[in-house]
Amino acid sequence: MEPPAPPGPSAAQTTPATAFPKLEILPKSSFASHHFLRPAKRINDGPDVAHFLTSEAYRDIGVFVLQLNHALVPRNKTPSSTTAPQISAAGRAAAAASTQFFPLNAPRRDPQAVLRLRELLDRVEGIIDEAPPDPGPRRFGNVSFRRWHEMLEARAEELLSEFLPEEVVQGFGQERGDEAGPLDELKAYFLGGFGSSQRLDYGTGHELSFLAFLGCLWKLGGFVEGEEDGERVNGEIERSIVLGVIEPYLKVIRRLILTYTLEPAGSHGVWGLDDHAFLPYVFGSAQLARPITDPEPTPLEGSAPGAPRPGDVVKADAVTRHREANMYFSAIGFINDVKKGPFWEHSPILFDVSGIKNGWGKINKGMIKMFNAEVLSKFPVVQHFTFGSLFSWDADPDAAAPITSVHMANQPVAAAATAAAAAKTSSGTGAGVGTAAPWAQATRMPGGPALSGGPGVPYSQGPWSGGGSAGPSMPRGGPPDTGPAPPTEFPKGVPGRASNQFTVTKAPWAKD
Amino acid sequence: MSDLDKAIAQLRACRPIPEAQVRELCHKARELLIEEGNVVTVTAPVTICGDIHGQFHDLMELFRVGGDVPDTNYLFMGDFVDRGFYSLESFLLLLCLKVRYPDRMTLIRGNHESRQITTVYGFYDECLRKYGSANVWRYCCDVFDYLALGAIVLGASNTMSPNPDSSETESDQDVEIEVCNADGQIMTQFSRQPRGRGGRGRSPNGAATSAISNGIGPAVPGGPMNSGPPGSGASGYSGGSVGNPAGAVLCVHGGLSPLIDTVDKIRLLDRKQEVPHEGAMCDLLWSDPDEIDGWGLSPRGAGFLFGADIVRVFNHRNDLSLIARAHQLVMEGFKEMFSASIVTVWSAPNYCYRCGNVAALLELSEDDSGLGIFARSNGDVGRSDGNGGNGPRGVLMENDPSEPKSGPARRYRVFQAAPQDSRGMPAKKPVADYFL
Repeated sequence: MEPPAPPGPSAAQTTPATAFPKLEILPKSSFASHHFLRPAKRINDGPDVAHFLTSEAYRDIGVFVLQLNHALVPRNKTPSSTTAPQISAAGRAAAAASTQFFPLNAPRRDPQAVLRLRELLDRVEGIIDEAPPDPGPRRFGNVSFRRWHEMLEARAEELLSEFLPEEVVQGFGQERGDEAGPLDELKAYFLGGFGSSQRLDYGTGHELSFLAFLGCLWKLGGFVEGEEDGERVNGEIERSIVLGVIEPYLKVIRRLILTYTLEPAGSHGVWGLDDHAFLPYVFGSAQLARPITDPEPTPLEGSAPGAPRPGDVVKADAVTRHREANMYFSAIGFINDVKKGPFWEHSPILFDVSGIKNGWGKINKGMIKMFNAEVLSKFPVVQHFTFGSLFSWDADPDAAAPITSVHMANQPVAAAATAAAAAKTSSGTGAGVGTAAPWAQATRMPGGPALSGGPGVPYSQGPWSGGGSAGPSMPRGGPPDTGPAPPTEFPKGVPGRASNQFTVTKAPWAKD
Repeated sequence: MSDLDKAIAQLRACRPIPEAQVRELCHKARELLIEEGNVVTVTAPVTICGDIHGQFHDLMELFRVGGDVPDTNYLFMGDFVDRGFYSLESFLLLLCLKVRYPDRMTLIRGNHESRQITTVYGFYDECLRKYGSANVWRYCCDVFDYLALGAIVLGASNTMSPNPDSSETESDQDVEIEVCNADGQIMTQFSRQPRGRGGRGRSPNGAATSAISNGIGPAVPGGPMNSGPPGSGASGYSGGSVGNPAGAVLCVHGGLSPLIDTVDKIRLLDRKQEVPHEGAMCDLLWSDPDEIDGWGLSPRGAGFLFGADIVRVFNHRNDLSLIARAHQLVMEGFKEMFSASIVTVWSAPNYCYRCGNVAALLELSEDDSGLGIFARSNGDVGRSDGNGGNGPRGVLMENDPSEPKSGPARRYRVFQAAPQDSRGMPAKKPVADYFL
């Protein structure tokens, strides 16, 4: 997977136009020989994450996210006569008057597949009415979610068969007997997208699974099936996927969270980005980034003219105003719905991001890096991801070797790991999806010398250890003795903190 | 004003103290804590608190409601850090108070007082962010290793102490449980009842029998007070032959362990280490009571679930009347289970800014009537008649070892999240590396 552009410090520059990488659609002719697999768990231990980061699945997830992300970026309406993406100051001014945004609430021509997926989501949401929350005395998560999830599982095949393109589900007429078919792969990721019935929680790992479900459908040609060639402009289907499926999916999830008080999987408390979600911050920031002219790559800084300012996210009225149009504001609107207290206190990370000066493009770039580090590179999050033929565990021949010391800094180590390895991999481990403790799945905690380095949290390492406002009465601490290297670009993967979870602390070493 | 008092003043203002001072404080605290046993003995009166989780302003509210240190004798059952915004300020303040008033402040360890947990659930991130280095986190973690694992409260009274905030001047000797709001007004009282073979006490908080109508203060919202005290205490079968009417109370963060059948076995553990993944020390900090028989696997992946029978046997064997623990969010702030043989106390209101729960603290009053001596004697020696005719009648009547006994008189003060208007917005901090 390629990054959108070389991550230079002068981010305003753009690279020469090349076709933006897209997830490959399997040719129909290859279906006959394609071996589908029932997706299986492969990440059983911290070091397995290193392999994951060089796998085809990792590459494909990255390509798909960046492809969707790119499509959301506003476009300059004035068709550029040349393909040169260089934008002069005058060009910028002109663009300001003619920016095409892709808000949630503007009319779209969604492909048939997207319309059907929305119907599917409606049906999924409807199951809530059949499994009302248990009114009895309870802990935070509501046990009726288990009933909801059971019903979803029982109906998943039927629902997918009903609402996905028939040819895709049937594997284009290939007789497979007992062998796995496309439905097996689709179903696994689909079901993985609706939280854990055992732990009564939901987190970014589940969100990732739903994204993979859509990625499978993309690979299988499910979104172009029945569409006339040339009917759609570049990126239009991707926009429909994000605005017409992912946002409605997030709405279903929010209702599930509210109905069954699902706990955030892997909460850092206030120190995570969001209790449950990550993707809306990626795509929502893209929606407001500096407009581009195809085939310009994703901008690395700058905001679209007329976009709300990043600082507006802390203003409740501005959030109310923009939440119907923008995914970032929609996600923050949900936080405001469920949390009481000062925004800066319950969401300090989002609060700090709102102070970024270089616009939504910069935020978007950061969110993608953070997604890579805090979701894809986190053992607690990706350990539940399963691998089949479409998102494959096979090594990507083009993948760069991961930098072990960096990548693995936050991963638990198996019993077999030597003390030296433990020391090398540092101490912290992320929470399991579902509030597991950090040493989940590790049979021993990284100990001794490893701790002297502190856990590998790339966050907050440098920026304010030196200059910056450390608080009036606060001493300025020295830089951490050691610390992980700063995050690298998206495709490479870095450690970070697990994204979120909360009310009940679960043991990190728990196996499920 | 000593440096310590200055630090206390600064922390009370929710401002962190300099790193060098943290280091010194942690050093002193360790010297103090190393002298404590794994199970600290605390004498009533005492105010028992549950999880705090960095909710500093709510901790201030707790002190307002429960009384300030050192006027009130506090026992905190762990989980000071993680998740909230002010783990640092909260923990350091409690630690300062511990060092300043060692006999008025007891801190025991929660499962979050651990290196591994804090790297996941926020405290590590918070220290980095507030100090720019992990040093303070390390100092704090070193203190965590020395925190006691539990406490035994002795000398708690069977009779409710007079409520200074209540207009009711006379304490009703029959009151076993009193629930007050944050202003001290009595919301509900539950009288002590003969221990019958009544319900098994599964009723949730608020669904209680024999509430004493007092006409003071608002009723517990949504709780018809007519079927037994919270979790059944006063009216239910009290979970076994608890020997002492006001016997000892064991305080521990999580719960029991299958490896621990006596309190003395807790005393034998080597506690000065990171919380292990399994074993007795782990269980004490991780286990939860549940409506099961015997022991069960914990969904947390650490510790165990334990049922009423386990508590009954343990309390009987150890001459305990009650186990107080924290560790689980309970919407009403406290929850008595298993016929009041165990109670969960939770002191972080509106947990994580969104759970909508109230918080509680538990006050056990001092037995100043001599009754405590009598009570703890459990029929063995020297039954004092010092109580004259003033003792709680019901208790005296049922002071037959073969009959289950109820625990000490318990006053719960329930409080809500602190108002937020006084908290100013800070400057935005530099963002994480991802956004540079």
